[in-house]
Amino acid sequence: MGWEEKQARGYGEFAEIAQRCHGRPIFALFCGDKDAAGRSWCPDCVTAEPIVRKELHNMPDGSVFIYCLVGDRTYWKDPNNEFRKNLKLTGVPTLLKYGTPQKLVEEECFKAELVRMLFTED
Amino acid sequence: QEAAKYDKKVMVLDFVTPTPLGTSWGLGGTCVNVGCIPKKLMHQAALLGQALQDARKFGWQFTEEVKHSWMTMTESVQNYIGSLNWGYRVALREKKVTYENAYGEFVGPHTVKATNKRGIEKLYTAKRFLIATGERPRYLGIPGDKEYCISSDDLFSLPYCPGKTLVVGASYVALECAGFLAGLGLDVTVMVRSILLRGFDQDIANKIGEYMEEHGIKFIKQFVPIKVEQIEEGTPGRLKVTAQSAVGNEIIEGEYNTVLLAIGRDACTRKIGLDKVGVKINEKTGKIPVNDEEQTNVPYIYAIGDILQDKLELTPVAIQAGRLLVQRLYGGATTKCDYVNVPTTVFTPLEYGACGYSEERAVEEFGEENIEVYHSYFWPLEWTVPSRDNNKCYAKIICNIKDNERVIGFHVLGPNAGEVTQGFAAAIKCGVTKEQLDGTIGIHPVCAEV
Repeated sequence: MGWEEKQARGYGEFAEIAQRCHGRPIFALFCGDKDAAGRSWCPDCVTAEPIVRKELHNMPDGSVFIYCLVGDRTYWKDPNNEFRKNLKLTGVPTLLKYGTPQKLVEEECFKAELVRMLFTED
Repeated sequence: QEAAKYDKKVMVLDFVTPTPLGTSWGLGGTCVNVGCIPKKLMHQAALLGQALQDARKFGWQFTEEVKHSWMTMTESVQNYIGSLNWGYRVALREKKVTYENAYGEFVGPHTVKATNKRGIEKLYTAKRFLIATGERPRYLGIPGDKEYCISSDDLFSLPYCPGKTLVVGASYVALECAGFLAGLGLDVTVMVRSILLRGFDQDIANKIGEYMEEHGIKFIKQFVPIKVEQIEEGTPGRLKVTAQSAVGNEIIEGEYNTVLLAIGRDACTRKIGLDKVGVKINEKTGKIPVNDEEQTNVPYIYAIGDILQDKLELTPVAIQAGRLLVQRLYGGATTKCDYVNVPTTVFTPLEYGACGYSEERAVEEFGEENIEVYHSYFWPLEWTVPSRDNNKCYAKIICNIKDNERVIGFHVLGPNAGEVTQGFAAAIKCGVTKEQLDGTIGIHPVCAEV
């Protein structure tokens, strides 16, 4: 069955997708918005994304991978933004397994081994 | 993690055999999953309940009745524990320690077999081994115990409120659990066979018991359960407990929603193949005797933690012993773990912190004429306004007259006892005397100034 990717912009879209996929393993990667040329304002996100994508095939069958752009730098820096409030995100990039305390933050996302561990652990 | 710092190839085998009711947990051992951490959080939940009551006297106005949700508390606690489990997984990986969620047992010299939860076996060899398998709660061995009773292993993740609870035991585990369950508003009874808190200062143990009784916890003294039967299934269900007097023939019966057994813990050393490699254990207690460098009778096998014979069963002691052991093996250090003057705290509703000798042990060791006990009751300022008990908090120090009145025992009964005790433990390690304590000006207004 494999896995599928969904894209979300902003918290509202993310929450809606997560709810629709309830019951399936959900992994999410949160990154800063990309400009017209496709580059994110967040340099760590630029580094992390290809590393995470290379490990996606390790996710269990039936998984959903949500690639979520959180917003621009100003929105992200606001301490009351919805991602901080509702998902307790503390930094970007963050890779997490939705509904569990399992997550990798910032430089942890650069380590393929840790990403693999997040995707394959129970 | 310490060994990995010295570039050693390290593997950790951690496996939790589920409880009779099927409860299990993640990486981190007893303290993190079913011990200190959830215990302190639930104790805090109970303290907050009390604080809400006091709040009105300090001017806070709220008209609604305050209720407690077991499910909300348990979910938050388990979520925190889950983040700790995950944190350890990440830490081990980052330090290149191999982790297997598998049951380890010795099958021959330098060789262990690891069986994972799917039954798949693998063999591993190593130059050295460290056993830190800890303990698990003991069951009574009476009809109905494994089928209907729970232990501390189950309590902290119980998916339903325990309701009217009978706690069997007089250990600190029993009293701490009884304490916070009552603090959360549940009907709690404690059944004890003989004395409370064996091994602790009995003068203080009695004060703790009295305080708990005065605050609504019922005690059934000198009885032991002989049978547990199910009256009605449910979450929680209804159980009937039959108990017999420990000093006579009287039989009593009681009905409870939950029966929590806290009568002791047994070392997990019987089923890990120690006989196959010749490691001697105390047949009666299951504990492993080691020398002062944590080495068993087999030179390449070491042990730390609760499974050691005649050593304190405390998380920080095990951690310290483990770190120092590795530093001695691979870092050229010579420091051994100091098991003397280790501070502890019991988180009963009235907290108890202690370091050093109990009064009884001091008398036994030095003779009554050679020790001097200084004591005092105190009334925490924070308790005055809400009119809470004014003669329950208590502190005492035991001094050795022959050695400059050096403080050899410190005991405090009151709020934040753990925080208070930590500083005094450092002072005792430095050999503080009564005169020096007298010469130290107190911080005001805090309990610790007494």
